[in-house]
Amino acid sequence: MGDPFTNLKSALKKTVFKDISFSEERKTAVRNSLQESPSSTQLHSWKEETLKTILESLKQEAKDGYEISSLLFQKNDSSFRNKEGELYTLLHLLENKSIIAARWYDEKKYYSLTGKGKKILAVTRREKSPQQTSLKQLILEASI
Amino acid sequence: MNEPEQMEAGFENFDERVQIIDKLMDEYSDAILHLVYTYVKNETTAEDLTQEIFIKCFEKLHQFNERSTLKTWLYRIASNHCKDYLKSWHYRKITLNDKIFDYIPSMSKTEDEIIAKDEEDILAKAVMELPLKYREVVFLHYYEELTLKEISKITAMNPNTLKTRLKRAKEILRHKMTKEAE
Repeated sequence: MGDPFTNLKSALKKTVFKDISFSEERKTAVRNSLQESPSSTQLHSWKEETLKTILESLKQEAKDGYEISSLLFQKNDSSFRNKEGELYTLLHLLENKSIIAARWYDEKKYYSLTGKGKKILAVTRREKSPQQTSLKQLILEASI
Repeated sequence: MNEPEQMEAGFENFDERVQIIDKLMDEYSDAILHLVYTYVKNETTAEDLTQEIFIKCFEKLHQFNERSTLKTWLYRIASNHCKDYLKSWHYRKITLNDKIFDYIPSMSKTEDEIIAKDEEDILAKAVMELPLKYREVVFLHYYEELTLKEISKITAMNPNTLKTRLKRAKEILRHKMTKEAE
């Protein structure tokens, strides 16, 4: 008795899989979601309140990471508790989106609001309607 | 001053990851789609899942270690993703609906039966009707031409178990084919 599966490959190719191919459109869809994934998902993982505290704190003067971190601690924001490093990831993300700018001074990196950052912050403060536009939304829209 | 440099490397890495996924899609997307189809037996679902699989690979690429080849790693993610899907509430719900439809007599079904006369059709159909645990190993071994060792890496199963399953699958198929011939 021979192996009943000997011709399986050609049989499946000619029948079940005959018209089944991963189209160029599908590939493009994958590529597009790869491009979207890093920035948008990362921003979503932080609380609106945290973003607000950080941006508000930079409105008057530039601060370094440690100062921002202490401020969040004072405000009982626990987003970065035991994972302080992630604050720098978020700051870097905001920097990439030109919401904040960073400058090295005396071996420390100081962050300040950019014009774009100030505008976004102003919009969220002005809006008092129930469906307030979120900071995250504005940041994402501004960076498209 | 180290931090910005690390960040730079991270972004280079992003482009590199995109390129790897591009290459994997060029080489294996049809094969993965066929693999997924053998699990879920629905073309649109298979396409959706394949799309998700490549995105998942992209996200997990940093976890890839050189202990397996990129190909077996990709197949493993695909196989796990399909199994998760088959276990999901969503899938159970739609298959229940399909089962209800199966009880409604339809014209197309009889047409299908008439078409399925050719030998290759019969073989393909018989394989697609095998229980999943046999269908999986048969597909990977005979269609993908992978060794039992490679399949064991993909499915996280003992090669001996796979060997037994292949043997059992042959028995089931021979039995089916002789019945068809009668």
